[in-house]
Amino acid sequence: MVAAAPIHAHPMEGSNAGFVQSVDGPAPGPFLYLGAKHMVTGYDHLLFLVGVIFFLYRLKDVVLYVSLFTLGHSLTLLFGVLGGVSVNAYVIDAIIGLSVVYKGFENINGFERVFKVKPNTRVAVLVFGLFHGLGLATKLQEFMVSENGLVANILSFNVGVEIGQILALTGVVALLSFWRTRPSFLAYGFAANSVLMVGGFLLAGIQMVGFVLFS
Amino acid sequence: MPELPTLPSRSKVLITTGVALLTAAALLFGAILPAEYGIDPLGTGRLLGLLALGQAQPFAAETGEYRVDRAELKLYPAEWVEYFYRLDEGSSMVFTWDATGPVTYNFHASPDGAPPGYAESFDAQEKTQGHGTYTAPFSGIHGWYWENVGTEEITITLTTSGFYTSAEIGRFRAAGYKDLTDIRGNPVPSVP
Repeated sequence: MVAAAPIHAHPMEGSNAGFVQSVDGPAPGPFLYLGAKHMVTGYDHLLFLVGVIFFLYRLKDVVLYVSLFTLGHSLTLLFGVLGGVSVNAYVIDAIIGLSVVYKGFENINGFERVFKVKPNTRVAVLVFGLFHGLGLATKLQEFMVSENGLVANILSFNVGVEIGQILALTGVVALLSFWRTRPSFLAYGFAANSVLMVGGFLLAGIQMVGFVLFS
Repeated sequence: MPELPTLPSRSKVLITTGVALLTAAALLFGAILPAEYGIDPLGTGRLLGLLALGQAQPFAAETGEYRVDRAELKLYPAEWVEYFYRLDEGSSMVFTWDATGPVTYNFHASPDGAPPGYAESFDAQEKTQGHGTYTAPFSGIHGWYWENVGTEEITITLTTSGFYTSAEIGRFRAAGYKDLTDIRGNPVPSVP
């Protein structure tokens, strides 16, 4: 059986990848755009964020948790690329998939019910933020060849990621806020988080198979 | 924190997690692996016709005439030469080139109707050989620039085959070439 090209959670593809490869020097505009596009079209990051803010009713909490996630992924994105730290993309994408499962499981009170523990949700968001950032760093390094303008380009990419995150979150928060006003929210909250777990398992499974086949 | 009206019981959590895992596994093995990787452990890929999605199309028909060209380009140190092809969008060629000494090279292309001097660069490195395939992203003129960066006279041997309509030397600064034309065939002033 001939296997097709490996699929990543959301790779940079075609002309975008070609562009990044050919960049030599600072190119803030394109990297800003690529960072934002990566976040808006990155369903693994989005699913995780949906899980994180699912039961956050107050805007203050949304900002706090999203800031922790941003702090985590910015740290590993910056130092990952600058330090040349690159983890196997399949492994890191599988962990990102499992972070979605974790969040869904936490949202249905799995840890209290099954393991009799109450995890620190803030620390968890920060730690998974670190993994998501490592994923971003790994993907960016696959394509970036030039050291010239590296810092400016990572920073632009990172700012783009945050812009994309705000854009995506605005939509998610709006939808969730609307849904919360309906009785169906509490009725289907459990089901929604179960579906989140399915999505997480699926993402992790795809990456694990990819790891076995292509690494 | 979760504020569900009645917190789910331990068994409900466990069953739900198990069902979630099984659902994901069913989708993965039943549909995604056949469609994306061409692996069909359950036979569902064949049943649903998903296998074709996961297989690269081995054949691509091309229009135009098939031709093969071979060129030997001699360059003294610091001399350079361009070698260009006319390819229509989607047409491809197979190439192999080998230089007897170090060269910097650059594969670039200029779309039809582009302003003078405009070119998109696809590959630029310092190497002594290159082999591969090229499929034109647009109709226009596509080709190499080589510069001898060593201290000896070198020969670049280039062989290509494919569906291009012309193959010729473009601009250059080298003693061995007489008729000076730019990449579109217009005469250019000679460069000392």
